[in-house]
Amino acid sequence: MKSVFRNAYFTLSRSLNPNSNPKFPLSLFPVCRISAITASPSSSSCSNIRNEKFRLFSATSSDSSMTDGGASSYSSSSVEKQFEHFRVQLEQSGSLRERIRAVATAMESAIRIMHSNLLLVHQSRPVPEILEKVKGQIAVLKELFHRLGEILRECPGQYYRYHGDWRSETQTIVSLLAFLHWLETGNLLMHTEAEEKLGLDASEFGLDIEDYLVGVCFMSNELPRYVVNQVTAGDYDCPRKVLKFLTDLHAAFQMLNLRNDFLRKKFDGMKYDLRRVEEVYYDVKIRGLTASGDSTGDQGTQA
Amino acid sequence: MDLQVLRWMGEAVERTTQGQNDKRERVVKASRDITINSKKVIFQVHRISKSNREEVLEKAEKDLAAVTDQYISRLVKELQGTDFWKLRRAYSPGVQEYVEAATFCKFCKTGTLLNLAEINASLLPINDPSLEPLQINVLDYLLGLADLTGELMRLAISRISDGELEYAEKICRFVRDIYRELTLLVPDMDENSDMKKKMETMLQSVVKIENADASNSWLTFLSKPSVCSSLQEQRLA
Repeated sequence: MKSVFRNAYFTLSRSLNPNSNPKFPLSLFPVCRISAITASPSSSSCSNIRNEKFRLFSATSSDSSMTDGGASSYSSSSVEKQFEHFRVQLEQSGSLRERIRAVATAMESAIRIMHSNLLLVHQSRPVPEILEKVKGQIAVLKELFHRLGEILRECPGQYYRYHGDWRSETQTIVSLLAFLHWLETGNLLMHTEAEEKLGLDASEFGLDIEDYLVGVCFMSNELPRYVVNQVTAGDYDCPRKVLKFLTDLHAAFQMLNLRNDFLRKKFDGMKYDLRRVEEVYYDVKIRGLTASGDSTGDQGTQA
Repeated sequence: MDLQVLRWMGEAVERTTQGQNDKRERVVKASRDITINSKKVIFQVHRISKSNREEVLEKAEKDLAAVTDQYISRLVKELQGTDFWKLRRAYSPGVQEYVEAATFCKFCKTGTLLNLAEINASLLPINDPSLEPLQINVLDYLLGLADLTGELMRLAISRISDGELEYAEKICRFVRDIYRELTLLVPDMDENSDMKKKMETMLQSVVKIENADASNSWLTFLSKPSVCSSLQEQRLA
């Protein structure tokens, strides 16, 4: 604020330069300035002159506002009315957003519990046990998505206005679900399946495709670590399975024509995951830990 | 893992995202055209002076109508009733510039603020009745208004140098009112970092108009014959 006033003063003193206004002879100006100081006995500093000018200005402006009150002058009451209306509108959307954020926060805590449970997979806990633990959280998330859908029903057609507020949560949820699904079935979680798991309906409150794809990219980040830990635990066939899955996934993504955005960046990261898995597979293979016959199919190996 | 399934997924997704990316590109292009042509309208209005007022404004209004008919309607066609919020980022700059041009014209013509409802009503005819009509949202309207004050500042300065002081004062009051009203709204706006920056610029504009006005009233005051002589007497005394 202070700097604004300083600027104001500089602009003022600059604009007082009589050269900028041809109507006044140069010689008049110094006279004016001196007499302005002498005219009022108390004014001995620049700031007083400034006050004087502002007072002067406000006097003239109120004069003219009284004179030109004709049809050409605008009525500030109609401006006020419109802005009052905007204020009500924006306050409503603000409170709606707050409610959405509250749901998103609840999602986040459910995600954290789910994620910590899912991390047990790196300690070679059996998958069914983990699934059992995670199931409760999925139900919670489903309920939260339902609540989100209810809130959004109040503002039809504005899904993408508020989308950013639950976006990153949704992406994380998709990544966890996709990882779980892969552990369970060895297949990729489809978009429709993900919607189904979360109780979403594409016609009303659907799962955005980009969010789904980003979630899948997040999942691939988890795989290299999983492979290493599985090999450590003695599952030497795991790298081959993961490598096949990831290669296919990468190929599928490559078919997409992505524009230069967040999803593209995430996809570009996927090739590093792929390479790490390849390295693990190479290590396992070169040490002869895996059976040489894996080219024949999905025959498990007992090294 | 079934590669066939993946292929299928890829194709399904491809169809949706590719279509959307193309659409986004076209919308961005339409928005850019609106920006350029709205700017031309604004320049036209700036040519105003005491003598050619009617004629300049008439031309500006005709240009603005052309922007609406040609470029806004193209944007409407490209959007084709898709989610306006989803592609908002792509078309928002153009719409803001259009709001700026339309409100600027209106202010110069009548000295009043063009309401959002009025703009939206003027857009209805170009919308395809079978689709959901494009309506400018509050946020773009307010962002456009914020830019309007910059143009009004330039107009006020040129009016002052032309000697139309009362007009400049009218502009000053108008801009102050807008600024004051907007300060109340900014905290409630969706992504307000943009708006905050604009508010700072707007304050600068307000201050510039006020200062130009002030220095001019001051000089006018001093140039009155009675004041002049009394000051000179004082100086001589």
